[in-house]
Amino acid sequence: MTGHPQPEEAASALAGIRRQQEKVIDAVLVPRWYWSAVGTAMVAIGAAADSRRTVVLAVVIPVAVVAIVAMTGAMIFGAYRGAQVGSELLGERGALSIVLFVWLVVGLTLGIGFGLRAAGAPWPATIATAIGGAALAYGGPWLMRRLRAVMLGNRAGNRR
Amino acid sequence: MSPSRFDELIHAPTRLSIVSLLAAVEWADFRFIRDEVHLSDSALSKQLTTLEEAGYVEIRKAFVGKRPRTSARLSRAGRAAFDLHVEALQEIVGRSGATIRPS
Repeated sequence: MTGHPQPEEAASALAGIRRQQEKVIDAVLVPRWYWSAVGTAMVAIGAAADSRRTVVLAVVIPVAVVAIVAMTGAMIFGAYRGAQVGSELLGERGALSIVLFVWLVVGLTLGIGFGLRAAGAPWPATIATAIGGAALAYGGPWLMRRLRAVMLGNRAGNRR
Repeated sequence: MSPSRFDELIHAPTRLSIVSLLAAVEWADFRFIRDEVHLSDSALSKQLTTLEEAGYVEIRKAFVGKRPRTSARLSRAGRAAFDLHVEALQEIVGRSGATIRPS
């Protein structure tokens, strides 16, 4: 093919670029199951801590921590998906959203846990991690929708 | 004046799909690209070589355990060329007064 394309062909090429990039962004976003899995592992850690039984603590906490680290590592380094999101596409807004979300969930969980413990409530760690886990399970997909919008806004042709 | 630049090499449909994909990621595995753009191993290999020779793509080969793992990323020149190509396409559409139908 030589020369510049006709407007119809150019519009079709732009639409193709848009579709391809939307497809890739959807493929590299963290899947919904990840958030529920990490939330469940958090609750397991909280329940194990409240049980105060040495055997439970020795088995459940290491297994849950390894599971969280392995799943998170796979998501961050792209081993699970075969591609890694470009920092340029994520931008400062995307990175800030992730950091704020993590701090919010961690702060919420620890705050409720220590508050319940100070108040003498039963099973404080279980209750706190259940709330934190629910925040992850529901907030994670919300964060992904937000990041998707940010990445679509930062892709080629939209950057100015 | 806009610095847009229509790029014949990128505009070929298969290469446009590959470059569009790579522009959205930091890097991507060979298998990921192959599956996303629906190409055979040999066809993808040929297109990546063409893009690499143009200086638009960097190919990285490594071993994960005993298995070879090939990944690709857009070079700085490739990213710039793609951005300018997209702008050129937008200008062509814009000059005609046409609109892009939502996908």
